[in-house]
Amino acid sequence: MPLFVGNYMRSFYLVLILLSLPLCTLNSSAETIKIVSSLPRTGSSNAQTSSIVNGIKLALSEVGNKIGDYSLSFEDWDDASPERGNWDPSTEAINADKAVKDPDVMIYMGPFNSGASKISMPKLNQAGMLQINPGSTWPGLTKPGIGEPNEPKVYRPSGKITFYRVLPADDIQGSVAAKWSAELGVKKAFIVHDGELYGKGIASVFKKNAAANGFQIAGMEQTDAKASNYRSLAVKIKQSGADLVYFGGTTQSNVGQLIKDLRSSGYTAKIMVPDGCFENAFIDSAGKENLENSTYITFGGIPGEQLVGRGKEFYETYKRTYQSEPEAYASYGYEAGRVAVEVIRRAGKKDRRAILDAAATIKNFEGLLGTWSFDENGDTTLRVMSGNIVKDGKFEFAKLLN
Amino acid sequence: MPRLRSNLHFVFLAVAALCPLLDTLLPEQLRFADALRPIFIFALLGLGLNVVTGFTGLLNLGAAGFMAIGGYSYAIATCDIYPFQLGFFGALLMSALTGMTAGILLGLPTLRLRGDYLAIATLGFGEIVQSIIRNLDVITKGTQGINPIPAPILFGYVFQPENYLPWYYLFWSILTVAVVVVSNLERSSVGRRWISVREDELASACMGTDVVRAKMSAFIVGAILCSIAGALWVSYLGSTGEPGNYDFQISIIALCMVIVGGLGSIPGVLLGALVMIGFNSILLTKIAAWINSLSTVSSTNVLASPNNWKYLIFGLALVVMMRFKPEGLLPAGRHYHRRGK
Amino acid sequence: MNDTEVLVQQLITGLCNGMIIALIALGYTLVYGIIELINFAHGDLVMLGAFMALTLVAFFDLNGASSGPAAWVGLASLFVIVPAFCAGVNWLADRLAYRPLRSAPKLSVLVSAIGLSFIFVNLGLFWGGLPLELFGGGNAAAAPKDFPGLIGNTNLLGAGNVQFTYKDLLVVLITLPAMGLLTYWVKFTTMGKAMRAVAQNPTAARLMGINADRVISITFMVGGALGGLASVVYALYNNTIYFQMGYRIGMDAFTAAVLGGIGSLPGAMLGGILIGLVRALTDQYIATMWTNVMVFSILILVIIFRPSGLMGAKVKDKV
Repeated sequence: MPLFVGNYMRSFYLVLILLSLPLCTLNSSAETIKIVSSLPRTGSSNAQTSSIVNGIKLALSEVGNKIGDYSLSFEDWDDASPERGNWDPSTEAINADKAVKDPDVMIYMGPFNSGASKISMPKLNQAGMLQINPGSTWPGLTKPGIGEPNEPKVYRPSGKITFYRVLPADDIQGSVAAKWSAELGVKKAFIVHDGELYGKGIASVFKKNAAANGFQIAGMEQTDAKASNYRSLAVKIKQSGADLVYFGGTTQSNVGQLIKDLRSSGYTAKIMVPDGCFENAFIDSAGKENLENSTYITFGGIPGEQLVGRGKEFYETYKRTYQSEPEAYASYGYEAGRVAVEVIRRAGKKDRRAILDAAATIKNFEGLLGTWSFDENGDTTLRVMSGNIVKDGKFEFAKLLN
Repeated sequence: MPRLRSNLHFVFLAVAALCPLLDTLLPEQLRFADALRPIFIFALLGLGLNVVTGFTGLLNLGAAGFMAIGGYSYAIATCDIYPFQLGFFGALLMSALTGMTAGILLGLPTLRLRGDYLAIATLGFGEIVQSIIRNLDVITKGTQGINPIPAPILFGYVFQPENYLPWYYLFWSILTVAVVVVSNLERSSVGRRWISVREDELASACMGTDVVRAKMSAFIVGAILCSIAGALWVSYLGSTGEPGNYDFQISIIALCMVIVGGLGSIPGVLLGALVMIGFNSILLTKIAAWINSLSTVSSTNVLASPNNWKYLIFGLALVVMMRFKPEGLLPAGRHYHRRGK
Repeated sequence: MNDTEVLVQQLITGLCNGMIIALIALGYTLVYGIIELINFAHGDLVMLGAFMALTLVAFFDLNGASSGPAAWVGLASLFVIVPAFCAGVNWLADRLAYRPLRSAPKLSVLVSAIGLSFIFVNLGLFWGGLPLELFGGGNAAAAPKDFPGLIGNTNLLGAGNVQFTYKDLLVVLITLPAMGLLTYWVKFTTMGKAMRAVAQNPTAARLMGINADRVISITFMVGGALGGLASVVYALYNNTIYFQMGYRIGMDAFTAAVLGGIGSLPGAMLGGILIGLVRALTDQYIATMWTNVMVFSILILVIIFRPSGLMGAKVKDKV
């Protein structure tokens, strides 16, 4: 066959070798309940994701990865791709479809990014699979009347609630941030956001709450996370005379650069950021001398070392097991893991419907941050928010916010 | 068997049609057929780019822009927050039309540009489209993306997300139709004009080809195919996703698909899509899952996670492939390539 | 700040940013001029240069106690070692990835460049994970790295509202001489002449006894060295580096090169400065979110009306 000689042979072999590499089979048994997480592993978010996954694994290992007759197996899936260096809609869609198709998968943890949740939610909802979320905070995912008019029912084609999140949404954080700004004596704030669902969402909530808290908004700008610097924007902010800059976005949106450029343009006023920046990478990237005593961080929860009781226990165990400080979202990974364990225990069988029904019965759950329940939207009733500042180059707990 | 060789794309499509059957014979962990769906869509994107870059020799770095336009048109045509709510084929037609319009608008002023200046104009176009979609949130919902996109309903059958087979054959059929159309076009007088423009613009003009018109027709066909790919992509995801998903990287990946497969070769595009997209969505996912299942403690070392090696492997594969097969894996046999100068 | 001051300040900002872009654009334009390759990996090479610079800062302990002459020597050495490193990497890239493809279709070389850009980005990710104090102890490989502010931020214009700092001065002091030297090199040295000969017609140049491969190698090295220089200036000016930073600066510089007329050295400089100014002024007077649209719209308009860029030679297609 002339077709398979010469040039073609080489190409076909190349493809053949590429496609046959992972020839290894894994066993699964009927007694196994599979829990999967779909979180961004490729790119800047990896450190945070590792922390969340560690939290989940810790919760599962506490029950010895076994509930009744069922053994738990956990798979850590990536919803990011190398081309994007960030979460990837197609990977998230593939993950959701894969989870639905795999009869062993009972619970889907994640995703981290609200934009990704929008893609997997309807797919999982249709299949009646429980989704426990430790990271997506866009309010419209669960709460009616805040986002688009058709939210959240568009994510629930089956009409049932399948998406439960263990952390407070951004509508709470944004309004708390505005209130805290007023307490700090802010008269005029300038808002900068990265245009992402999370950053823009929280910045809009902050803006909406400004007037009620008695301060003005001097301007609102959307930045490009890939820009080399923001010097011209810094000049514009300086000119506006704002005494606080509120940034909506994550560390990965290049906020460090913005702060550096603000400071080097001679702007000395306050800076406030949400929990997407509550990781050590934020201090590293902005330079601690630029943040010292002038930077305020809100977080939906309490930092690890401030936790008491069960929370303190978690913090200690985490440090002992993984030899590192947990990042901000680690406790939500752990909380999600514990909820998963409790839900499976209550359901008592390997059945998606039973497990889903059990999730709705989670009330007065003894969590890390106190006792909480899932409300009628699938949101946590928890509203603990903490305010933190940067002092001596470290995050320091300042006060509880509500 | 030269006939078989020039019709290799139909062999590929036939094999693809049988893949779901093969899939059922494989153990759970090795199943891959549902992950072929994005490959069909990207193959369609590559096919469109192949008409422009492969047949006509115009370097296009803005394929993602057309994909975005097609995807958003499809979303606006179907989603219930807009007044249109067309059916699947109606929406597909609409995205093809908007894609075509965009192609004409971009092509009219720029197609007279020389070589790489056209490339940068298309690159700029891709960036502008992405920024505009991001900023015009009244229409496009900005970074939230338009979602959810209703599942297609064909002849009364509603496509369900948990059953991939109908989707699979829907995308497969559309790709097959596109392949038939493009391979017929290639052999038609239009296609021969495209290729003559690529091989020698001046000689072609001397022989009476209206060069700008030939380029424009290629641009339009390319824009339509890329837009349809965008529309299918959006229906597959059930959301447009955020505008950043249609960035320069997508254009680059599409271009790599076409060149790795073999510039101007239709079977090459199909193989290129399989290699480039399959590498990421099938092979690396399986390897990463396998490695992750081996280790129980996740390490913080950057070298420990297989995902952190993706770029490196990907890049090396591209460089090595070009080093040993610079003409692509399945070069277009009957056309003579030479270095552009 | 009154309106005039704001305008002057934005012009300074735009000019400084533009000069850095111009320095990188020269790397694109040199390589394009000689082998017609859009070197997609150039922006990422600049990123690697910045990581090299940060490593050297850690190695010489420039951020710590050392001050006085030692610190000055250390700082000066950055401007030598990093360009040399980038030149070396670019030479290697040419030797391994591009030279074997000299007679291959043009677009295959482009794919090689894309592949190299992926490799560079991944190497940058690994580099960011180095267990050095400055790199965050290997915990957050992908996070942006703080580049210590070795150059002061003191305003040279006194206590006025308009700032022209040591950093701005540094940009001017490095980029202008570099551009001058490059122009001299290309115009007046034998190697420069050989380079222009190869660019015009490689076969004829070979027939005249010019070792074209060597000339191309040297062009790559010069382009790399300029990128290295730009990476040090960039790092000292912006104080943040991260493994994906090559994307935007590469895109800006490539746009600048085309805007000015790809292949033309003064064109690349003009294009870079123009893009810097357009960015700054759009940020101030329109909105940050429209800056990219503005830059690329101007680009498309310019090449529609001047199809060879602002300063590109009018090229007749060869027959």
